[in-house]
Amino acid sequence: MRSEILTGAIVLALVFPHCVMVTDGIEVDVVYEAAAMPQAVLTDMGYRVKLDRALISLGRVELLECDNFVLQVWRLFVPGRAKAHEESTPTSLGVPMIIDLMESSGAVLFAGTLRPPPGRYCGIRVVSAPADADAIASTPERADMLESVLVLEGVVEHSETGLELPLRVRIAEVIEGDMPFDEPLVFDGPRSVTVSVRINHIQWFDGIDFAVSAGAAVHQKLVENMKSSLAAERL
Amino acid sequence: MGVKLWLLITALALPLWSASEAAACGTCSVGDPTLTIVGFEQPSAKRVRTSATARHRNDRIGEENVDQLLLSEQRLELAGAYSPTDRWTLSLMMPLVHRYVTAVNLAESDIWAPGDLEFRVRAVVYRDRSFAPRHLIGLIGGLEFPTSSIERDTEGVPLPLEFQAGTGSWDPIVGASYTMFSDPWSLYLSSVAIFPTQGTADTKAGTSFRQTALGQFQPWTFLAFQLGAEFRIDQPGFIAGVRDPNTGGHITYGTFGIVALPHDKILLHITVAVPLIQRLDGAHEEGLAITGGLVYEI
Repeated sequence: MRSEILTGAIVLALVFPHCVMVTDGIEVDVVYEAAAMPQAVLTDMGYRVKLDRALISLGRVELLECDNFVLQVWRLFVPGRAKAHEESTPTSLGVPMIIDLMESSGAVLFAGTLRPPPGRYCGIRVVSAPADADAIASTPERADMLESVLVLEGVVEHSETGLELPLRVRIAEVIEGDMPFDEPLVFDGPRSVTVSVRINHIQWFDGIDFAVSAGAAVHQKLVENMKSSLAAERL
Repeated sequence: MGVKLWLLITALALPLWSASEAAACGTCSVGDPTLTIVGFEQPSAKRVRTSATARHRNDRIGEENVDQLLLSEQRLELAGAYSPTDRWTLSLMMPLVHRYVTAVNLAESDIWAPGDLEFRVRAVVYRDRSFAPRHLIGLIGGLEFPTSSIERDTEGVPLPLEFQAGTGSWDPIVGASYTMFSDPWSLYLSSVAIFPTQGTADTKAGTSFRQTALGQFQPWTFLAFQLGAEFRIDQPGFIAGVRDPNTGGHITYGTFGIVALPHDKILLHITVAVPLIQRLDGAHEEGLAITGGLVYEI
């Protein structure tokens, strides 16, 4: 009798059903959408830019809380210190990704899923930083992206004067771009949304007079244009 | 008459010590969960006991609004113990674990799983006299079996140790205890170390040392009050060779318990453990723990 009770208790414990139920919480899928690349980009200053190579390295994407939005924007004026493979948190993805703007023209690229706590989120920040060897889409042919955030190669020609110049841009500085949402994302319970970050590189060459500008001036204007070309949209 | 009364009270009081443990989980327990069934009195030859013990505890792991996990755990421990002689006691304890984990993004995991089966041996190596000893020194040995299931994420990667119902490893247990009786007071001290090995999911809990100090006052034969302290110090845990930052450190609980004997074969106990000093590594905060149960002598 004693042994039966003991045996029964142990057997009952050993056959205790194993059960796991998981309920998804708040999830924000982030995708990148690169604008469709035409044969040549016509700038507002009359230049035609024909790109042979256009690569960008994105290091981090981060949701911005409404309450901290001003503070987050202020950080734009502080020198960036981003690096490849930063630690991911519920509000930021630290997985670096190299995007070939020529190959990805018009494509939707999945960056990852954020799992933020409840709150109000007014925007999203994208940080462009040099990649590392583990970055998504990193290949030996793209080894220069380990030291660059943006690589552009091609030819620039003026549509009227016929002036033709080679275009070779390599930008290594960390670039942060903040994009406000049209309406805040408000999370007070589990739900899933998708946010698209659009990269419209068609505008990147506007305002640059390649005939008189070169080097740092072109880089600076490109960075400004790059930041302003980013847009976030909730799908 | 006086001696008989003393013996009777002592005999009744001895099992009451058994409710001294704080609530526990597979990876962050305090105290000795098998004491409920084994007790720390002098074993009675040929005695068989069974017990059911319920434990509840809360845990906060991680930084608030960043990566915090809220853990609520309930365990039902079914156990049996047998004393072949008046010096040896063998016990088996099987926990059934329910864990409810809430992530910072309100994702929830509801886990029901068996924990790690635990086998222990307690040997009385010193007693000042055979009958109604006033001083007992015992040695404790044991082994935890990897019977718990290993919880994994959707990609098959083992979840942090906090999500697991047990360590999933073969864990040797070594310890010693001392008991002193001075009716109606009693004192119990024990030190137990657990040495987890590599778990079945490439997890490794850190070596854990637990110290229990407990005093008991028994004004009546059917009721006793306990006051004590439970100390635990852990080495960090590792998953796939990477340190889990929120493991390791030490914690001290204050415990208060009540033990009742409604029948000569039944013992009821309830203990509340309050964390007093927490020096746990990383962002890790343990909460109130409550233990209640029943011991039945067959």
